Amino acid sequence: MATEKKARRDALNESHVWQVYARRKFEEPLHEIGNVMADDVELAKVYARSIYDEFAWVEMVIVPRETIVHVIET
Amino acid sequence: MSTTTRRIDHAALFAVLSSLADNKQAVGRRYAYWCNGAPALEAAVAAAAMTQDELGHARTLYPLLDNFVQAEADLSQVEPETRTLHYSLAYLDRDFAGWADFVATNFLFDTALTTFFEAAQQSSYEPLRQRARKIVQEERIHEMHGEGWVRRLARAGGAVRATMAASLERLWNETLCWFGPNDDPIMQQLYREGIIDATPDELRARYLKKIMPTLQGLDIEVPVAFNASNKQWELTGALPWERWDAVGRRLG
Repeated sequence: MATEKKARRDALNESHVWQVYARRKFEEPLHEIGNVMADDVELAKVYARSIYDEFAWVEMVIVPRETIVHVIET
Repeated sequence: MSTTTRRIDHAALFAVLSSLADNKQAVGRRYAYWCNGAPALEAAVAAAAMTQDELGHARTLYPLLDNFVQAEADLSQVEPETRTLHYSLAYLDRDFAGWADFVATNFLFDTALTTFFEAAQQSSYEPLRQRARKIVQEERIHEMHGEGWVRRLARAGGAVRATMAASLERLWNETLCWFGPNDDPIMQQLYREGIIDATPDELRARYLKKIMPTLQGLDIEVPVAFNASNKQWELTGALPWERWDAVGRRLG
């Protein structure tokens, strides 16, 4: 029974992190405002919109963290 | 409290607006429980936002009831705080048994209500037209949430998928019945008067067109088949109209 519950939990654990970027004015650059965890891109979009809704953004984008390539890393 | 001096005498529109408001209110209340019970923090925050949206939709619909002659029979019924009638689905009478019920309600039933509001975006009844456009806009993100979670639960497989399939099955008939039988005098009157631009059968066809690509893509079995000759999704089984409560727009 406990194993079954754990299996259900594991099946629903999100493993992908998405970095969230947004800007309030077109003349501003996009800046990082946080991240969300979701395995489904559409859910990641829903989560980003509902969590980071403190401003009337003119643009918001999400980027899968694993696609980020480090140029300098100390 | 009455805010109008000249009320409209329109029993059909009053009935449908009552059902829309009660269902939005019931959906919002059921969602509310999951604001801190969703499987993840992100899903909980989204559930909170959706709860606010649904209760907000109900809040914009209830005041319309006061504009009708039919409200005069009992003015306490037009205020959500004093209303004792609940013309919402039987499925929403009880707490959700689990997260799968939240997902099923959002994916199936809320999408059905949105299909109705889409059909009212050019409504001859201006207050509904205005609200329908805003609701349709806000519901886009709910649809993304519903489709996304149906995919998540279906692909998880095993008991998770089976639980979601059971939730969808429990809600299926009542959702499809909500549009009414095709000769439903209420919906047919709204159609004839340009309050909505579709008959009950047309609303059902539009609704199936919205939900079926997701269900078919995930091999979730529902009694629907694609008719290649008219390029429409069609129900393969009869709906349980013998249990249809035309006043409450729900199954008994």
